[in-house]
Amino acid sequence: MQGAAKPQPAAPGAKDSDDAPAPITERAKADARDRQLVVRLKAGDQRAFEELVRLYQDRVFALSYRMLGNRQEAEDLAQEVFITLHRAIGSYRGEGRFYTWLYRIASNTCKNRIKYLRGRHFHKSVSVDDTPEAQAPAGEAGPGVPLQSRVHGPEAMTEGNRLEAAVQRELAALDPEHRLLIILRDVQGMSYQEILRITGLQEGTLKSRLHRARVALKDRLKEHLS
Amino acid sequence: MTPPSETGTDLVSAYLDDELEGQDVAAFEDLLESSPEVQEELEDLRKVISLVGGLGKVEAPEDFYEKLNRRIRRRQLLQPQTSSKLAMIAVPFQVLSILVILTVAALYMMSELDAAPKSIEREVLVPIGNTGAPSDAPRPVQP
Repeated sequence: MQGAAKPQPAAPGAKDSDDAPAPITERAKADARDRQLVVRLKAGDQRAFEELVRLYQDRVFALSYRMLGNRQEAEDLAQEVFITLHRAIGSYRGEGRFYTWLYRIASNTCKNRIKYLRGRHFHKSVSVDDTPEAQAPAGEAGPGVPLQSRVHGPEAMTEGNRLEAAVQRELAALDPEHRLLIILRDVQGMSYQEILRITGLQEGTLKSRLHRARVALKDRLKEHLS
Repeated sequence: MTPPSETGTDLVSAYLDDELEGQDVAAFEDLLESSPEVQEELEDLRKVISLVGGLGKVEAPEDFYEKLNRRIRRRQLLQPQTSSKLAMIAVPFQVLSILVILTVAALYMMSELDAAPKSIEREVLVPIGNTGAPSDAPRPVQP
């Protein structure tokens, strides 16, 4: 089926500062577009649902994948998030931004799935297909410099992939709460305000928890830091 | 204002994220200048953030929406409460069909019971020791 056009989602991560009017305008536009789609979806328009899915599927999938470290589980979980959205859209009152609400669903679903998988002794795995070149061009990476480009010479790709796999593995081994904060902040580049709205944490708690999460990851990645 | 810490290391993350307020920034930078421990922590966390930020972009599969749509439809079919009108119509038919099955079963059983009982062939039991077969026991000796 030919999908709807793939407009860009709102750009989280832009600081809530006064000296960045362009992102705020874009964000306002994205919020207005989301509100319209939600209204249409509530009225039973399935095209609106399709548009919302296509807008946010990559980001929800990326969050799931970074939380679980497994593509199949991540796809299943991301679908579950959108099914919950489809079912619960009637209870969304439009307070706050739509994607914050969606991310709240996604992060809760992730944490529940991790608990469930722990009970089943699920082992996280990073397969060869999960290497970055199998996913997207390196130039489209997250907020930082792609890991492949940090290693030079003929072994660059292999070494870069090994490094990425190590980071993903250690990230997926963190406590789920810590994992979530690092992914939202350092992988997806969200601002503290956005993370506060998604997690419902107090600002002081967010700061200290994010710091502890980074320290825990630093300890795990010690050999790669030199 | 961020609460003061004993070592200052727990302010490192907020400093790196540019989330410290004016006074805190100045206090932290003073501490940073005088404490090698805080400097080391700052550098390490900067590297960690850079490593994590360099993770490749992950995209959902091309057919993500199509699979999702199929899954939603399947669930709607499996969950009759989502189509309550259909369920309301279906219930009387379900009850009726159960009653028909029970009636047919009862009629069949009654007809079976009314039928003449078949003669049961009884197995002829022969008492042990009177079989007429030759015995291995020694015969009494004739005088």
